[in-house]
Amino acid sequence: MSDLIRRDPRTEWIARNRLHPLHGEALFSTSGHPVGDVRGPSGLLRKNPHGVGFIGPNGIKRIDRLAIQLGESGPQGGQRRGAKAAVEVQLPLVTVESPDFYVVAVLDMVGGRLTGHDKDVLGQGHKLVAATEGKGAVVAVTFGDSKEEGFDKAGVDRLIQFRGEQYDGYSPEQRVTALEAVERELDPEYWLFPDSIAGGQELGCRLAARLGERPATQAWQVDAFTSLCRGGSQRIDISRETPRLLLLGEECADQIDETRHEAVVIELASVPASLSRIEDCGAVDVDPSQVPLGEAEFILSAGNGIHDWDQFHQAAETLRATEGASRVAVDDGFMPRHRQVGATGTWVTARVYVAVGISGAIQHMQGIGQCDKVVAINSDAGCDMVKRADLSVIGDSQQILAELIRLVESRQQGGAEDAA
Amino acid sequence: MQPDLSAKSLKVTSLISVGQHPKSGRARRAEQDARAVELGLTLSDDQLEMLHVGSGDKTVMRSYLGMGLPKMTLLKQGDRGDAVPVLCDYLATHAPDILLTGVRAESGEASGMLPFLLAEKLGWPLVSRIAEIGEVNDGVAEVLQALPRGQRRAIKVRLPFVASVDNAAAEPRQSAFGPGQRAGINDMPVAGGDDVVRSGWEESPARKKPKRLKVVKAKTAADRFKAATAKASGGGGKVLKKESPAEQAQAVLDLLIEEGVVR
Amino acid sequence: MILDGLLPVLISVALALLAIGALRRISLWRAGQPESVNIIAGLMAVPRRYMVDLHHVVERDKYMSNTHVATAGGFVLSMVLIILVHLVGLDNSLLAWALLASTALMFIGAVFVYKRRQNPPSRLSKGAWMRLPKSLLSFAATFFIVTLPAAGLLPVNFGGWVLALVLMAGIVLGLGELLFGMGWGGPMKHAFAGALHLAFHRRAERFGGGRSTGLKPVNLTAKILGVSKPSDFKWNQLLGFDACVQCGRCEAVCPAFAAGQPLNPKKLIQDMVVGLAGGSDANYAGSAYPGKDVGNAKGGPTQVITEGLVSPETLWSCTTCRACVEECPMVIEHVDAIVDMRRFLTLEKGDTPNKGAETLENLIATDNPNGFAPASRMNWAADQNLRVMADVKDVDVLFWVSDGAFDMRSQRILRAFVKLLKAANVDFAVLGDEERDSGDVARRLGDDATFQSLAKRNIETLSKYRFNRIVTTDPHAFHVLKNEYKDFYPDGQAPEYEVFHHTTFINELVKASALKLDMYKGGTVTYHDPCYLGRYNGEYDSPRELLAELGIELAEMERSGFRSRCCGGGGGAPITDIPGERRIADMRMEDAVATGAELVAVGCQQCTAMLEGVVEPRPEIKDIAEIVVESLIEEVH
Ligand SMILES: Cc1cc2nc3c(=O)[nH]c(=O)nc-3n(C[C@H](O)[C@H](O)[C@H](O)COP(=O)(O)OP(=O)(O)OC[C@H]3O[C@@H](n4cnc5c(N)ncnc54)[C@H](O)[C@@H]3O)c2cc1C
Ligand code: SF4
Ligand code: SF4
Repeated sequence: MSDLIRRDPRTEWIARNRLHPLHGEALFSTSGHPVGDVRGPSGLLRKNPHGVGFIGPNGIKRIDRLAIQLGESGPQGGQRRGAKAAVEVQLPLVTVESPDFYVVAVLDMVGGRLTGHDKDVLGQGHKLVAATEGKGAVVAVTFGDSKEEGFDKAGVDRLIQFRGEQYDGYSPEQRVTALEAVERELDPEYWLFPDSIAGGQELGCRLAARLGERPATQAWQVDAFTSLCRGGSQRIDISRETPRLLLLGEECADQIDETRHEAVVIELASVPASLSRIEDCGAVDVDPSQVPLGEAEFILSAGNGIHDWDQFHQAAETLRATEGASRVAVDDGFMPRHRQVGATGTWVTARVYVAVGISGAIQHMQGIGQCDKVVAINSDAGCDMVKRADLSVIGDSQQILAELIRLVESRQQGGAEDAA
Repeated sequence: MQPDLSAKSLKVTSLISVGQHPKSGRARRAEQDARAVELGLTLSDDQLEMLHVGSGDKTVMRSYLGMGLPKMTLLKQGDRGDAVPVLCDYLATHAPDILLTGVRAESGEASGMLPFLLAEKLGWPLVSRIAEIGEVNDGVAEVLQALPRGQRRAIKVRLPFVASVDNAAAEPRQSAFGPGQRAGINDMPVAGGDDVVRSGWEESPARKKPKRLKVVKAKTAADRFKAATAKASGGGGKVLKKESPAEQAQAVLDLLIEEGVVR
Repeated sequence: MILDGLLPVLISVALALLAIGALRRISLWRAGQPESVNIIAGLMAVPRRYMVDLHHVVERDKYMSNTHVATAGGFVLSMVLIILVHLVGLDNSLLAWALLASTALMFIGAVFVYKRRQNPPSRLSKGAWMRLPKSLLSFAATFFIVTLPAAGLLPVNFGGWVLALVLMAGIVLGLGELLFGMGWGGPMKHAFAGALHLAFHRRAERFGGGRSTGLKPVNLTAKILGVSKPSDFKWNQLLGFDACVQCGRCEAVCPAFAAGQPLNPKKLIQDMVVGLAGGSDANYAGSAYPGKDVGNAKGGPTQVITEGLVSPETLWSCTTCRACVEECPMVIEHVDAIVDMRRFLTLEKGDTPNKGAETLENLIATDNPNGFAPASRMNWAADQNLRVMADVKDVDVLFWVSDGAFDMRSQRILRAFVKLLKAANVDFAVLGDEERDSGDVARRLGDDATFQSLAKRNIETLSKYRFNRIVTTDPHAFHVLKNEYKDFYPDGQAPEYEVFHHTTFINELVKASALKLDMYKGGTVTYHDPCYLGRYNGEYDSPRELLAELGIELAEMERSGFRSRCCGGGGGAPITDIPGERRIADMRMEDAVATGAELVAVGCQQCTAMLEGVVEPRPEIKDIAEIVVESLIEEVH
């Protein structure tokens, strides 16, 4: 790698922007000083006591006065630019030779990568291994091609990868047949699945039905003896003996992050082909803006503060967001009625809701009560939407949307170049 | 997608259960089961059978009947009974072309196992989380499966089959009190064993799950650094007032990227 | 005169046709459902109800009331005398003179009718109604002339064939309109149907200054719930529809009509007439439902109304504000009819539009319209230290909190009121989590099953405790508790408490000097009468007195008091949300802005929500409780 110093304008301006979420890192990578240090108006370097420290394992804030971990011994200041910010600490490798038993975790691998939920399940696997007599190995089972490189750090002792077109798309029958082969060869002590909509729940239930096991479902606190399972409508907990097959909730156990594992690939002798009565005809491409509001994950919503409607539609398209609207925008005829969010429109459950030019009347707020992150783009810093929002930018919607469109477009182009 | 005419002669059975309102815990028409009935009604309004195993809470059964069916079948069983063997027996003699269920019950164990157990025992294919059933031709049905983020997958499946109906399926029609009150309930007492495994379980009101703490362990310097500088979560939102529109837009975009909705 | 022989024949024929027509009309009404009435007492009461109650309404339009007295009085008198003089043939010049006088009176009246019709306001129907003044004039004129000989003012054989023919034509025209038309559905039908409607009105309590605004319960075990076909109405409701004079006063005050929603109460009543008689609305000559054409509606007594006669959106546009009922000179009950038809749509068809179905499901599953946890009903009062009925069991005043408990804006009103109650040392408590939605919205949305279930369970709760009065800040709950719950008490029991709206109650406290108040210091104030407080319960004065106590001189809106325009929030209208050209709340805000007010005082959390939903800039909106609290002088103990 060349040691040429390259300017990174984006990082630089983030470094100037104290409120930017990445400000700290950017500042660090540009100046080499920790955020705790601020150049005061007189040019003196000042310590910012709030900016230093971190939360330790016991939840108490600590200040690392020795600065050992900060790599002070490394190259100083500006020379760090461009180089990898930190030196990787080599985690200890855990090996299991000829295990006495296996705990098999069947993973979702959304987009070919481990999900957070997958890692939780692997963590649970190790918890069960530890609580069982003898030497056990956690086996991860994946279907289809994977892009994951971190199996070792997620706690995978053994890895079974079923590849081939028979496992592509929606192929639950073939997958269960494959799992049956695993059952025959490894006779696992436990079967673990993420209880998720990404496939884990379905496969777990199928295998349970096939093997005649009664699974623990939505289990969120599991040890070798008892499992605590969430019941219907999230209203009850069921405490029961831990069965052999478990469908685990998110955050059921801590993820593995202090050890490395072998991730030795196991090849199964052979997997018979299943008779398929289900044919996957492929994904139906649904235009994000056409997704029903109630199902949308990301909504860009327009109110009375939108003056350029073409621009708004363009922004939604560029961001691949579903369009929403306040009642005023609907009443004024700019948006169709089924796009109205609020008391008399749809109650949305989007994870991210961007309200552009919406004041935040109570009837509107009712509709976004379940949204996780709300972003307000509004010219009035005192309006109720800004009070509710996790991030608010105050200014003219037209200008900000224009910038947003520009940024996303250049990012997409940049992305394309990167890939090229 | 409109079901074609041949679909009208299909025999469809929708299984219904006693749901539970998440806030009040009061018994009600279960959301997914009601969608299964709705789907059944659009597929075959005169050949739809509504089937329930259990004690058959009157108000709840009537709220399903209020969707416009003249009658339903109730396989009467105690609260602790195991529904699967009873259903298997019944469906073996009254086999429909399509068996619709919800994905998960709203009360009790809510394991989501029932459709899978039935499919396994009956030897039928099962498609999970469907949003729509389209044309049915030559014993093959075109089905749309619901995927996250409002996406859909097209699937063909051979009749007879079991399908669990997702929340993305069409909303159930309103239940009308009058017809619901007047419709008939054919109840048949059935002999089924109790669910013995379950009797060993302990149930308690749901506890709050502890939030996972973001603890930093000695790993890499960068990780520690990140943790040390991260904005404490919670508290009021951030407000950017003075920044230029470009900076503001960047801040919004960063959040969108962080949340994974812009890729 | 040549006519001498013919006249009795003509009169007899006309009377006979009237009789036949009337019997036929009566048989149309009798297709409706039975409802027992006191026939004799009803008929005896007609003159009084006409002279007092009906005129009380007609008098709001002085021109029309005088005209109507002259025309109608003249006609009734003339008709009696015509029968005596020209049919029975009593040869008494005194009678003849009297007849001359009465026809003259009628003629004068008819001239005024004619003048009104020269340039009629848009609310009046045209068509056959444009012909009426001419028919009235010719009736009066011709009978005047033919009576002249009997009075000895003209020779018996005056005139020739030509005059005879002219008179003849006039008589046929006059008798045709006034007698034949009365029985056979012409404009004069209103006289006949109107008189009987006054006699057999379904809410006889309304006459003599009474008030009857509570909806009638549905028998939930009936074969069909609500009204699907005209014949499902009670017979006297059908009779009531037939009494409509198409004066359009209801249309002129209807907020939904003004907002361009597809509702016109006059057209609705006329469509009911089409339905009960069978046919189409092709002859209707008044304003249409906004956005809909006239001429396509068809119906019959046994045809489903919402399948061709009236579209469901028309029924769902109504805010049940009762402005039409208040204005109707014929004492017709529009709201009853609309809710009856909604009941069919909801209870039989399961077809409540927009958020309706969801709201009803929530009410069933959580006892509140938005599906909040019933156990969180008291969360708003966590810091209020309120006494709960379950603990105290016996108090003077029960504060009915209503679903405002779940709404942050309404909670401010609740807190303000609690502060006043505490300041006045009122012995009060709340039901806490035991309270349920009053059922108002469910009932207006046509779901009487859910309403009755809520009502019965609330009554059961109320019956466990002892208290003298209920006070509530919600006029809808107030109305339901006061006027509608009594139908659901178990046999032999009745409510043993009085129900007060908080404005009335605070006013009493102030009058009793239980509250020390400062003068109001803000700018101009106007007051919006909530429909369910004003028109439904006649409480116009307390809020005004109370504001006056604070030294506020109200800048009244043009439409205030019994003519107050709805905010658009009643009858479940915000839930069914039928689109129009404007929003009712915006129009009401314009009314308020026109007074120059900086503050709109209201007495209802729903009005507050609706008016605050109007985009800014606009005057501020505050509940009276909030305004009073600001002026409260707190005693230091
Ligand atoms: C019964 C009832 C039900 C209702 N139901 C709903 C409902 O379901 N959904 C709903 O949304 N509303 C509903 N409303 C209406 C609600 O009360 C508000 O009127 C409405 O939400 C306001 O819409 P808005 O925020 O777009 O408009 P406004 O309140 O006018 O807000 C516009 C916002 O845009 C900002 N702005 C203006 N110009 C710019 C600019 N150039 N750049 C950036 N910002 C700008 C302003 O600062 C302001 O905050 C209901 C009302 C009632 C009474
Ligand atoms: S209903 Fe009453 S107010 Fe309306 S037009 Fe008829 S008579 Fe007049
Ligand atoms: S009650 Fe009000 S909204 Fe309904 S028809 Fe009458 S005036 Fe119109």
